Amino acid sequence: MNAPFSAYLSGIRGGVQELVRFLRMKYDYVSVLATDSCGFAVRISQRSRSVSSETMTTERGLVVRVCRERQYSEVALNHFDASSPASVAAEVEKAVEQQRSLLASVGTQSYFTPLLPDEPLVLFAEKECEILPEQTDLKELVDWLTILSDKGMSHSPELLDCVVTAQSTHICKLFLTENRDLSQSYVYSEGTVVAVANRDGRTQTGYEGVSGLCGPELFSQLEEKAEKSVATALELLDAGPIEPGEYEIITTPEVSGLIAHEAFGHGVEMDMFVKNRALGREYFGKRVGSDLVTMHEGALCAEDVTSYAFDDEGTLAGDVTEIENGILRNGICDALSALRLGVAPTGNGKRENFEHKVYTRMTNTIFESGKDSLEDMIASVQYGYLLEGVESGMEDPKHWGIQCIIKLGREIRDGKLTGKVVAPIIMTGYVPDLLGNISMCSPHREVFGTGGCGKGYKEWVKVSDGGPYLKTKARLG
Amino acid sequence: MLDTILSFLRRSTVAAWEVEDVITDGWEFYFIRHALDQNRVKHVEHISVKVFHLSDDGETMGFASCEIPPTASEEDAEALINSLAYRASLVKNKPFTLHKPDLAAGSSCPSINLENAAGAFLRTMRDVPETLEEDINSYEIFVSSRKRRFLNSEGIDIEEVYPDSMVEVVVNARRSGREIELYRNFKSGTCDDVSLRRDLLRAMQTGRDRLVAEPTPALGKADVLFSTADSREIYSYFVDRLNTAFVYRKMSDWQLGQSICPSFGGDRLSISAVRELPNSSANRIYDTEGAMIHDVLLLENGVARHYIGNRMFSSYLGLEDTFVPTNFAVSGGTWSEAELRHGPLLEVVEFSDFQVDAVTGDIFGEIRLAYWNDGEKTVPVTGGSISGSMLTLVGNMFLSTETVQYNNWVVPSATLLKGVTVTGIA
Repeated sequence: MNAPFSAYLSGIRGGVQELVRFLRMKYDYVSVLATDSCGFAVRISQRSRSVSSETMTTERGLVVRVCRERQYSEVALNHFDASSPASVAAEVEKAVEQQRSLLASVGTQSYFTPLLPDEPLVLFAEKECEILPEQTDLKELVDWLTILSDKGMSHSPELLDCVVTAQSTHICKLFLTENRDLSQSYVYSEGTVVAVANRDGRTQTGYEGVSGLCGPELFSQLEEKAEKSVATALELLDAGPIEPGEYEIITTPEVSGLIAHEAFGHGVEMDMFVKNRALGREYFGKRVGSDLVTMHEGALCAEDVTSYAFDDEGTLAGDVTEIENGILRNGICDALSALRLGVAPTGNGKRENFEHKVYTRMTNTIFESGKDSLEDMIASVQYGYLLEGVESGMEDPKHWGIQCIIKLGREIRDGKLTGKVVAPIIMTGYVPDLLGNISMCSPHREVFGTGGCGKGYKEWVKVSDGGPYLKTKARLG
Repeated sequence: MLDTILSFLRRSTVAAWEVEDVITDGWEFYFIRHALDQNRVKHVEHISVKVFHLSDDGETMGFASCEIPPTASEEDAEALINSLAYRASLVKNKPFTLHKPDLAAGSSCPSINLENAAGAFLRTMRDVPETLEEDINSYEIFVSSRKRRFLNSEGIDIEEVYPDSMVEVVVNARRSGREIELYRNFKSGTCDDVSLRRDLLRAMQTGRDRLVAEPTPALGKADVLFSTADSREIYSYFVDRLNTAFVYRKMSDWQLGQSICPSFGGDRLSISAVRELPNSSANRIYDTEGAMIHDVLLLENGVARHYIGNRMFSSYLGLEDTFVPTNFAVSGGTWSEAELRHGPLLEVVEFSDFQVDAVTGDIFGEIRLAYWNDGEKTVPVTGGSISGSMLTLVGNMFLSTETVQYNNWVVPSATLLKGVTVTGIA
């Protein structure tokens, strides 16, 4: 079935069109993004349970963007009365002009930006899913997740908890300008299993997740993940610290995805180029990785949590080849930054929600696959680690440093896994070295979308990332 | 819409309910260098409703929550509340009761002038002294006034208004064709121009040093000094471990009246929850569930004295006098900052992202700038990382007598952890 477009947004469409028309009399450019996204989040633990209708991306509201004298302003509100667009237009104008008056009194200069193009475009996209979040049998889901949690706990008395979460969101967005009328509706879902184990006061966790551009039918995959999560938590109770140093490493697809995200995901967000905050600007056409490194970014690259039809500025979704055989080719860009840089936007203008500003943000960031089997990769390592599971990462586009917190490492000596596990691991290094040392890639590739991504320490959005198993070298501590 | 929701809830047969209505008026300004990139206004209302269901035998209680948009029709609002009642019936938790009114708490609804507050930030940032070698790359100013009303079925009906501001700044330093950047994020109630200016000048100094930093040596185990806002991460570990959710879930085994560490080689920690700190963005009279916030000693000389946390988990532990605090104060230790700086030690002033995992106790951070004091001389270093476990480090913490405030935290201005693993790159 197709995920149906929001009745609420359909109902206010006429009022929003009028709002655009009224404001267009005062401003050179006007756009409105209206959102109505609903969903649910279920959390089952041995100690507490909850059901909520809120996920990271549920929202209902409206953001108006206007431009006059090459200066862009926005007003976000969520009490839009579709029957009084003129009064809303007056409210928007009053708010913007009050701010402009203050800015003038302080002597603030503008960063002038050309007018956004507004070629006619009509799009109505309803993506497919089997079950809608709003039609899900939550009783059945709660009961099943409870069984999963109980089953996970049965594996060991050392387990403190097995927390299972399932959430699904039906995204609906309407983007209108004088000449554009874009509507989209899609559903994405994600589920996680966190096993918590304790021995002698030392606590460890295992984490597994599933995600996809689909409805709650996804959650059937959680059963297999629960087993893995429990096994990891118990295994970590026996893990020792790693001897700091530089090692040959093999990254699992999840860790490869984290590297993709932190290395040349953030590294080529072109709003950072406008501020001269990213080294990548000087490296287009230059080598930043080995011949085996090809990386894609875009909402069309994969079907996961952020695979939309158009972004939050009304730019159609894309698929950008960022790195091709080790050579940096393209960046990703929101619409205003694209105007400032004189390039085409790539469909990567995203907001945390209607209340937030647009920044250039990632969608699906993925390494291409290779031809080496995992067995051959392990056999080629004299002394190193197979790195599994991710905790977090941090970008550094200006200096190309990278920090990845990895769940665990499995020791490899003389081409064989020894059974020894070390944890936790902080992987650091210089991005071109890390990518330049990639010497093997597996054909198997996976995409992960259970996490969120911040810009600095705020502006959280959904992203997915992934890749194949990769062999390279890195500093581990 | 709020009145409509309350009317439905009061007529309904649900066991209990909570409603929170937050109206935010915000002004935002985004700058590239000192040129305005974009200005934004926000006027939004978020009404959150939580409904509780008690099973017929009284053995289990469930809850479900949702946000009801201010644009929802009356029919939609009623349908959402009915849906919540059903969803709550699917959840089987141990029963607990909601907070009751505390007449002593009062209310606080000061008038906040966004234009004045925003103007103060704009002028402060405009006037920060810059040089050819150190300047501001970009910044974002967020100023808001939040009006919060909280009601529950026990009769709580409270309202408070508070300011909430943030400035995010990127500072550049350059020399001989090489440029670096530093990221700073300052939160506060309203504009504290003196502190903001001081911290930005300090960031510029840090930038100068990073330009000449050498590779961090491979130190193995070393003493590491924390003298920036990153110390809050260390102290948050202790607050998290005293949270009733952690205790009830057995992720913390800290017992009231008992020491949190078998033996202390360094200072013994004392941490308090405090209702108010000067210009904190987290000054509140009530917590998220309507409990009155007050000053209370959480940890006294290394001995757990008071748990904190939400109503459900506190109730499960049989505790009544608990709440979710928003400001914290860590007492100073027994060493002057100067004494703590006697080497050898590594003072890390810039991490990529310093983290302390409250569950496992693991600490991590990639070093962007540190000062390595080998006992004779001090040099700026960069690269590599630190790691360790609070489970063992807690017994070897040394705190300065001097304290400093970072928004909603007062912490010792210097905190020394002994025996941290330092992975160098030299």
